[in-house]
Amino acid sequence: MSIRSQLLKGILDGCVLAVIKKEAVYGYELSKKLQKVGLEDVSEGTIYPVLLRLQKNKLIIGEMRPSESGPNRKYYSLTSAGKEALEIISVEWNQLAVPINALLSKGDETVESE
Amino acid sequence: MKASELIKQNNQKRALLTEENEKYYTNLLLYIRTKLTLSEQQSEEVLMEMLDHLSEGQQDGKTAREIFGNDPTGYADEIISHLPRENKRESFLFVSEIVINLFGWFLIMRSIIIPIIGSKASEEVSIISSLLLILLIMVMTALGVRGIFGLISQSSFDEKASDKKAMIKAGLYGAGGFSVIAIFSFLAKEIGPTFTLPWQISFGLGAILLLISWLMKKFRLR
Repeated sequence: MSIRSQLLKGILDGCVLAVIKKEAVYGYELSKKLQKVGLEDVSEGTIYPVLLRLQKNKLIIGEMRPSESGPNRKYYSLTSAGKEALEIISVEWNQLAVPINALLSKGDETVESE
Repeated sequence: MKASELIKQNNQKRALLTEENEKYYTNLLLYIRTKLTLSEQQSEEVLMEMLDHLSEGQQDGKTAREIFGNDPTGYADEIISHLPRENKRESFLFVSEIVINLFGWFLIMRSIIIPIIGSKASEEVSIISSLLLILLIMVMTALGVRGIFGLISQSSFDEKASDKKAMIKAGLYGAGGFSVIAIFSFLAKEIGPTFTLPWQISFGLGAILLLISWLMKKFRLR
């Protein structure tokens, strides 16, 4: 497994929740949107285990309805628990991202200055 | 949408895949469907989503391998680990339906064989050995279903697995199971008290049981 996909593994749930929050989507749309924001090496199939897990934890809910192109698709939307979970993930991410950015991008300087 | 409806649609949509994609997807499907403890409804829903995804991807020039990865077994196991188990009540009803159906056929067969043999003695039923025989048939059937489903799911992603080998294994199991049942029924003829069950009554009871199992199936697929 590449380093990037290992890093992504922990935060992918958050990414999926964030896409679904903007608008109800079905599987194929979801993978396209993830790729569009730059997460290109998320193998498309990986979203299905994530979607199943999020459904099992009642963070999202799936509903069959006709898609724009015609045939029925299972559209996912956030539950209230899902919205809360997304907020927690965002806060946690920010708390990690700031120090990690500082550490990794100019790691040497910070260590030397202390 | 009901699982039976999803299965029907799945068959139609699967026919539109390219040969390579169809092979990859069908293996995935067999591997997941042969895990009997999973919720059928949830399994069929995610299988349909994956099939729709593959169909759309195929139109964009992607292959199943690109979409679902190079490790289909690992991928399928991951899907399975997140699928909920089948609800206990439904599993119980399904198993009962099969048991009633088997028992119905058992009585019907008996009602056909007795007039052919034409001896009064064969209408005698020994309670204990009959019950043991029925139990044995059910256990052998359950083991057979599990064994054959296990063979299918094992060979799903095995490129080298030949259908011939699996069929021989399944055939041997069938022959072995049948011999066990035949030997048992030959040896355990006269244990415990007996009563007379004429073939006409056997036929009537069998027909009623088959009707019940048929109604249960109708209700289940409704």
